[in-house]
Amino acid sequence: MSVLITGVSGALAGIVTQRLLEDDQEVVGLDVRPLPMGRAFGGEFYRVRRYTQRRVAEVFRRHKPRILIHLGRIRGTALRSLNQRYNQNVLGTRHLLSLAAKHGVSRVVVLSTYHVYGAHQHNHLMIREDAPLRASQIYPELTDAVELDHATTTFLWRHRSVGTVLLRPCNVIGPNLNNLMSRLLRSRSCPSLLGYDPIMQFIHQDDMARAIVLAATAKAPNFGVFNVAGEGVASYSHAVRLAGGRTVPVPHVLAYPIVGALARWRLIFPQHLLDYFRYPCVIDDSEFRKAYGFEPERTTVQALESVGGSAGIPR
Amino acid sequence: MLGSLRRLLPKPLDPKLREELRASAKIGSAGFDTFGLHPATLERTLRWTQWIYRSYFRVEVEGIEKVPAGRVMLVPNHGGQLPLDGMLVALAMVLDAKPPRFVRAMVERWFPSLPFVSTLFVRCGQVVGDPENCRNLLERDEAIMVFPEGVRGSGKTWWHRYELQEFGTGFVRLAMSTNSPIVPVAVVGAEETYPSIYDIRWLARLLKIPYVPITPFWPLLGPLGAIPLPVPIAIKFGDPIHFTGDADASDHEIHEKVDLVKLRIGELIERGLDERPWLRNLDPVARWGK
Repeated sequence: MSVLITGVSGALAGIVTQRLLEDDQEVVGLDVRPLPMGRAFGGEFYRVRRYTQRRVAEVFRRHKPRILIHLGRIRGTALRSLNQRYNQNVLGTRHLLSLAAKHGVSRVVVLSTYHVYGAHQHNHLMIREDAPLRASQIYPELTDAVELDHATTTFLWRHRSVGTVLLRPCNVIGPNLNNLMSRLLRSRSCPSLLGYDPIMQFIHQDDMARAIVLAATAKAPNFGVFNVAGEGVASYSHAVRLAGGRTVPVPHVLAYPIVGALARWRLIFPQHLLDYFRYPCVIDDSEFRKAYGFEPERTTVQALESVGGSAGIPR
Repeated sequence: MLGSLRRLLPKPLDPKLREELRASAKIGSAGFDTFGLHPATLERTLRWTQWIYRSYFRVEVEGIEKVPAGRVMLVPNHGGQLPLDGMLVALAMVLDAKPPRFVRAMVERWFPSLPFVSTLFVRCGQVVGDPENCRNLLERDEAIMVFPEGVRGSGKTWWHRYELQEFGTGFVRLAMSTNSPIVPVAVVGAEETYPSIYDIRWLARLLKIPYVPITPFWPLLGPLGAIPLPVPIAIKFGDPIHFTGDADASDHEIHEKVDLVKLRIGELIERGLDERPWLRNLDPVARWGK
């Protein structure tokens, strides 16, 4: 009886692992990346090339995990082709889910993202979980994220013996994280779109790890789709200032082609995420708070101030 | 020298008002409420808008005490090309209501694509006019302001001043389903701030904006022509209307309720115009008609 965590080489998964080990759970790790240098993993670790590999089934057979925490979604950087991401995120997730159903896993937690709702000028604020996932219509680059989400919700209803919890978090930030938003907030000067300054939500890495562990171990509710967010909101420019940087405004008519050109050289951030710096995409997390009694421990200001803090261990 | 210059500048906001305002909003740690209102920004703009409200438009408010505490939907008439009427009603609720209140105006859907202005508007509490936003705000006991006429009202030419255009029905359904009172509001004088004599429809279609007005001064005088005329403005708040019944009733039944709101606004406008007969007499065509 153990907990299988995918994407375990990531920093967030590292914190989740730590928490589970403190709870005396047996942890099995799975990732396509090697474990980061110098990090001791308190369980058995398997490295695979793809989550669709047959070796993954062997991990299920050997360890009979009771809980599957799927944090292994690879993000849309220019480093990977769309095809690679589709295989890893959509086909890989489906493979993992079908194995979970086959090997009697009782709880599955899948980490999606708020990006699936899409940033659009017509968006209303406080988007609830039942809102359409608009992202794939606006940006084909996010199709894999939306399909991962859909595959999980379909699985949720088809295999009711498995308790499936799908989490759609807002921007997860923290001193140890290496995701786009954390990297951006850590840099001295952060590009912004001139004249646009949408409100955003941030959740601290520790709070997010706690939310994941809660969703994996709480008795009830044992299934559902939930938005997860921190306390309050902050505009992008405020967030940058709180994190200790300053914004460098770029007119959006220039920003889109520039980012597009630079993305080809694997610089700055993916073009399809630019709209999230232009229009608000604010989610309503009241369902998750109500269902699990979850309260973020850190305020937005504390989370933002911690990002660039020296407390961080560089990964 | 410097002192006299400073006296020319608008007076800063009364600190007591500032405190009362801060207390009325539900602000998170970063200084924003969930819908993007940033009181610190609003207070900065208030220094200037207060001057516009008091000295430029010399706004006279009547019946503001009728606005109930808790969730409420303000429904004013709409006119005068730019949404100055909305701004002035919101300012009345901040500067003249006791206690002061933030009003969340519902803005057009295309608005977020405008740089700078949209950011400032969101900081000052405006929200995209989506039914979902209205519902969320009302359920949080906020005061919202909707213009059921939309651009049909604000884009009117001079000859159609104070003619209430077709109202949507969604606002009544929303008020009923969230159990919120509707306060009819009349803004008298805003229609004359930009006397539009012609609306260039084809240009508006081309630019993908609702209307392109021509006034005697705009675009003839360039940026100077874009300054609104300093018409004294009256804002009249009516008695709150509580609708009960099925929010999902047929359009026919809802229309009756919409017409009642429209009637009340019309009455308030008439009262305002009676007090300012010269506004009526401005219209040569109407005089010929009589």
